[in-house]
Amino acid sequence: MMRISLGPCQFDWGKSALKDFYRRMAFETAVDILYVGEVVCSKRQSLTPEEMVSLAEELRSSGKEIVFSTLGLVMNASEEEGLYRLARAASQGGWWLEANDIGGIAVGEGTPMVAGPHITTYNPETIHFLMRVGVKRVVFPVELSADAMARMIQRLQGEITLEAFAYGKLPLTFSARCYTARAFRYSKANCQYKCGDFADGMVMRTQDGTSFLTINGTQTMSHRHYNLIEATERLQEIGIGVLRLSPQSQGMAAIVEVWRDRLHGRIDAKEALSRLSELNGGEPFCNGYFHGRPGHDYWSA
Amino acid sequence: MGQKVEVLAPAGNLPSLRAAVDHGADAVYFGFRNATNARNFEGLNFSLNDAKAGIAYAHSHGVRANVVLNTFPQADDPSLWFQTVDETAALGADAIIIANLSLLDYCHAKHPQLPIHLSVQASASNAPAINFYQRHFDIARVILPRVLTVAEIRALKERTTVDLEVFAFGGLCVMAEGRCYLSSFATGVSPNIEGVCSPARAVRFENTGERLRTRLGDILIADYGAHEEAAYPTICKGRFQANDQVYHVMEEPGSLNILEMLPEVIESGVVSLKIEGRQRTKSYVATVTRVLRQAVDSYYADPPGFRPKGKWLKELNAISEGTTHTLGTYEERWQ
Repeated sequence: MMRISLGPCQFDWGKSALKDFYRRMAFETAVDILYVGEVVCSKRQSLTPEEMVSLAEELRSSGKEIVFSTLGLVMNASEEEGLYRLARAASQGGWWLEANDIGGIAVGEGTPMVAGPHITTYNPETIHFLMRVGVKRVVFPVELSADAMARMIQRLQGEITLEAFAYGKLPLTFSARCYTARAFRYSKANCQYKCGDFADGMVMRTQDGTSFLTINGTQTMSHRHYNLIEATERLQEIGIGVLRLSPQSQGMAAIVEVWRDRLHGRIDAKEALSRLSELNGGEPFCNGYFHGRPGHDYWSA
Repeated sequence: MGQKVEVLAPAGNLPSLRAAVDHGADAVYFGFRNATNARNFEGLNFSLNDAKAGIAYAHSHGVRANVVLNTFPQADDPSLWFQTVDETAALGADAIIIANLSLLDYCHAKHPQLPIHLSVQASASNAPAINFYQRHFDIARVILPRVLTVAEIRALKERTTVDLEVFAFGGLCVMAEGRCYLSSFATGVSPNIEGVCSPARAVRFENTGERLRTRLGDILIADYGAHEEAAYPTICKGRFQANDQVYHVMEEPGSLNILEMLPEVIESGVVSLKIEGRQRTKSYVATVTRVLRQAVDSYYADPPGFRPKGKWLKELNAISEGTTHTLGTYEERWQ
C-alpha cells in the first residue's frame, strides 16, 4: 500500500499556526509522513531547528515519520549556517533531512536523506550517485510524466523508495527576487513580510483572466491544484511508494481523508475526484505533467 | 590583483565562433546540435566536424574552447550524453560544462584530465553545494546562477577555492536555472530534458491590427497595444495581472548588462565574464565581445578611473532584447 506524506508547508503562516497545523495533521489524520521545515524563504518567521526538534519530539507519540525539510535555494552564509544547524539537529535526533538544494545534500552527506522535488533526478544514474551519499528516498521532479517515472523505477529495481507529488499547488521555481514584495513595490530587503497576508499565495492571472500561477514570495507555484486522484492505480502499478499532498490553509484533514479512502478502495476514483473538487470550491485541477502534457492542463482518463 | 578576468563568448555556429575569436574573446563556448545542450534551437550549434574546426581555430589564436553538455539525460537512453562526453574529451576541448550528477560522475572517472566547469543549470549558489561538487568531481569552475548579489559573490569567494564564472551580458534568466518548470508548465516541453525554454514551436504571435498578443502553448503571455514592441514570449518576462495591477510581474523584457558595476564584479574575485547568447547572430557576438574586451582592458589600464563609456552602452543597448538593460540580481535592490 502506498503511504501518504504531507509535504513541507510552502506558505508563511507563522510559528504558532504551523505548529497547530502539524499537531492536527499528526494526531487527527491518516498521513504516514510529515515534512516539517521552511523551503521557500529564510526571511520568514518559520520554526528554528530547535523548535522543529521540540515539535518533532512532541509529535513522536503519533507514530508518524517526521522529516526535516530544508531551503530550496541557498544563497548566502547565513542560510548555509541555518542548513548546518538543521542538519546537526536532524542527525542528533535521528530524523531524516529532506534536501532541496545540493547544498542540503552536502550538509547531510552520510546521514539518511530524502532528495526533495527540487533536486534534479531525471535518471537512475543520478539516483545511484545520491544513494552513495546517503539518500534513502527520492521525490521526483514535478514535471516528470508517469512513463518517465515508470522507466526510472524499472531500472532502479526496488533499490530505493520513490515519492510522487500527488496533490496541491505545484512548486515550479525559485528566484532571488521576491514577487510578493514586488507586487507591493517593495524590495525583498524591505518586504514588510507581505507573504504573511496570503495564506495560500497570491493569484497571478493572464491578461485574459485565466488564473495561471501563484506568487509565493521568491517561489512561483501553479494556481491550479495538481491532482492525481484518478491515477492511484497507475501510481501503484509503476511502483511509487509515497504520495505527497501539499499543505493548504483550509480543508487539509478532509483532503487527506479522501486520499486515504481512495487508497483503501472504500471509494472509487470518480467519487474521490468529486469530493476533492467540492473541497476545492469547484475550481479546475491540473495533472498534465503526469500524462506528458503541459502541466497546466487537466487530462481525464 | 590576481589573474586578469576572462572574456568568454558564446558561439551558436562556426562563423560566430570565429567572430568571437577575431573580436577579442579569451575563450569561447559552444554545444552540439542535439538534446545534450540547453540551447537546442533549430538551425544552431555544432556537428562533430564543426567542433573540431572551431577548437582548431580558437587554439591557433590562443583562445580556449569550452564545450557545453548541460541538459539531463533520460532514463530510457542516456547513451547520447555519455558518448558526447567521450567525444568532447577526444576533441581536446579546454573544458566541459556539465550540469547532471551522473555525467559529472562519469566524466570525472573516465576523463580525469578534462577540466569540468559546473553548468549554471546545476544552480549551485552556495559554498556547501560548490564544495560538494569539488569534493566528488574535482570541478575547476562553477558558473553561478543569476541569483547572487555582488556582495554575496565576494563573500562566497572566501568560502570556496573553486573558480567562479558569472554572466556579464545577455538574456537574463531570473529563476534558479535548471530547476525552473515554468516553460514546461505551459508547453509540456522541459528545458532540462530537451534543452529549450519557450520552444519556437509553442510560440504564437497573434496580430489583430489593434492588439498584438503573444502566447506560449495556450497561455497568453502578453497583450500589447499597437504602439508597443512585442517581446519573445517567455513566462518570466510576461505581462500578467497580480494584486489588481497589470505589469511585468516577474521581470521586464531586457538584457543583463554589468558594465556599470564592472569594477565591483571583477574585484569580487571572479575569473570569467560570460556573454549569454548562443542563439544570437554573429554580429551580436562580435559587438558584445568587442565592447566587453574594450571595457575589461580599460578597467585594467586604470582600475580606479574606470567609467563605462556612453558609446559602449549605446552599442550594447542597440542589440539588447527590449532595448533596455538591468544590473539584475548583482544589485541588491533588484531583488
